[in-house]
Amino acid sequence: MTQPVTHGDAVWRPTAALGRAVFTAAVAVAGALLVGEPALVVLAVPFIALAALGLLHRPTQAPRLTTHLDHTSLHEGQGTTSRLTVADAGDAEYLTRASGRPPYVVMRPHAGQVGALLSGPDGAGPTVEISPRRWGLRFVGQEKVALMSRWAGFRFGPVPLGGQHLRVLPMAAVYDSRADAPQPVGLVGAHRSQRPGSGTELAGIRPFTPGDRLRRVNWRVSLRTRELHVVSTRAEEDTAVLLVVDALADHGASGGVDGAASSLDLSVRAASAVAEHHVRSGDRVALRVVGRGRELVGYGTGARHLRRIQHTLAGIRSGEVAEAEAGVLQLGVTGGTVVVVLSPMLAESIGAVAATLTRRGVPVLVVDTLPGDVRPGVAPGTDPDLASLAWRMRTLERTAVLQRLAALGCPVVPWRGPGTIDDVLRRLARRAAQPRVVAR
Amino acid sequence: MNGLLSAVTELSRSQLVLRVLIFLGPVVAVLAAGPAGRWPTWWVALGIVVLAGAFAAMPESAVGAAVMLAVLAWWAGALDDGLHPAVLVAATGLLVAHLAALLAGYGPDRMPVDPALVRLWVRRGALLLLGVPLVWGLALALRGQPEQPGIWVVGVMAGLVATVAAAVALT
Repeated sequence: MTQPVTHGDAVWRPTAALGRAVFTAAVAVAGALLVGEPALVVLAVPFIALAALGLLHRPTQAPRLTTHLDHTSLHEGQGTTSRLTVADAGDAEYLTRASGRPPYVVMRPHAGQVGALLSGPDGAGPTVEISPRRWGLRFVGQEKVALMSRWAGFRFGPVPLGGQHLRVLPMAAVYDSRADAPQPVGLVGAHRSQRPGSGTELAGIRPFTPGDRLRRVNWRVSLRTRELHVVSTRAEEDTAVLLVVDALADHGASGGVDGAASSLDLSVRAASAVAEHHVRSGDRVALRVVGRGRELVGYGTGARHLRRIQHTLAGIRSGEVAEAEAGVLQLGVTGGTVVVVLSPMLAESIGAVAATLTRRGVPVLVVDTLPGDVRPGVAPGTDPDLASLAWRMRTLERTAVLQRLAALGCPVVPWRGPGTIDDVLRRLARRAAQPRVVAR
Repeated sequence: MNGLLSAVTELSRSQLVLRVLIFLGPVVAVLAAGPAGRWPTWWVALGIVVLAGAFAAMPESAVGAAVMLAVLAWWAGALDDGLHPAVLVAATGLLVAHLAALLAGYGPDRMPVDPALVRLWVRRGALLLLGVPLVWGLALALRGQPEQPGIWVVGVMAGLVATVAAAVALT
């Protein structure tokens, strides 16, 4: 991707050094002539030479600059290179790049401030390595470029070069789960279902019936009972997973991929990891963001669908929505879907929707993404004691909501990376196999 | 004070070295007049220190020209014999300060100075300094010689032509 050159008003201008050299040389020579002091000429000799050489190398050609990033989409923590190409720079000797400092972006070398001697009129300038440290839409590559003529007499620029948007996808967190989905009702997949079929998981041994394949006959049992018996297995099916990300607010400070994680960091990274795991298992995954953007990705599978989910997650911005405030959040969940809610559980609407779905018999799992050491953001001028009291009350309410959800049978687990939801999914799967009464 | 400290701490190490050289250059150039027979008075020294400090803080500003002017004025007015060998030290001090300011202007304050660029300018600075002892020797050789008629007119004309040429080239 190429960034067009934007230096309409950039021209070669004399440097302060040239002005100082000319001034010093002129004053010294004039003073020597006026007061008859040859020492002033001795002092002025280097400045006369510098001024003359600087003026002699006056540039006549305006250079053309082009920048581009090697990648426009990255995972947080990964890196790309910003390259600068120079043309018609025969009059220039040195090139300086001074990059801006966008938040959550690390640049090398020297925070994106780098210079190099040019080897010819056309070619590449010094490169800058860029690494975004937090997911989201980042504006990188904005910089100022200056060129210096030979003997530092004239400077071109600094020319502001516009940057470009870099979509930073959530970190590909290490996550794996061996637990089966609670209610697999799809066609073909990797989860053991309750109905018999041609899977690999042993369901039992039963008498032979017409239609059974011969390779299913268990000869040992058949010889012992003097009657043909076959091995029956369970079908393996896929499931639908709905990821609900609570983006109503972002609690805690984010230090990027290397530092502390905010609640939205945890939610987005966990959603990305769970989506990646289930997509690779062949499950159908959907995403619903409860927040300002109200992003929605329908059910789908495959690498392209995973990419779409990650792109959507990268574009999340926290903020309230009227729908959530009114407590009438509609997720459109159908039968056979596992709902994974990723939330700090501080919004009433999220707790309400989890409870409603649980009562309907939908397997719901809440992943608690509130960081342990989070402190509320307090507006300037607010009494800290009052803010602390309000936060304590809020956390008490949150605890009560989590306890009510647990009493309803909706498990709540904090996000811990690999295996976070294994045990819970297993329990949900066992519970799904048992007969139950569903409130309608 | 805190602003000054934070500005200094933001400088890269190589930039800090350059600023020290910018500060020391004019101070050394004025103090070099001491061995030649005239130590600067305290208020002259203080003035030079203040100007040199401002020059080190703002290498791209017009303070640089002011500090050069101050040093030249001191050497023009304070000494009876300006061709003392100490003038070579003063010339070196002024050139070092000028080149350090020039190098500091290549990039932002936080940007370390490119070692390749430093090597280039060290070579150039050495080349420029070669002319100083040559002119000093020439001036010593011509000292005491009878003044040629019209030498000052030729000098003024040469200065005017150089000034006009520089003005044309800069515009």
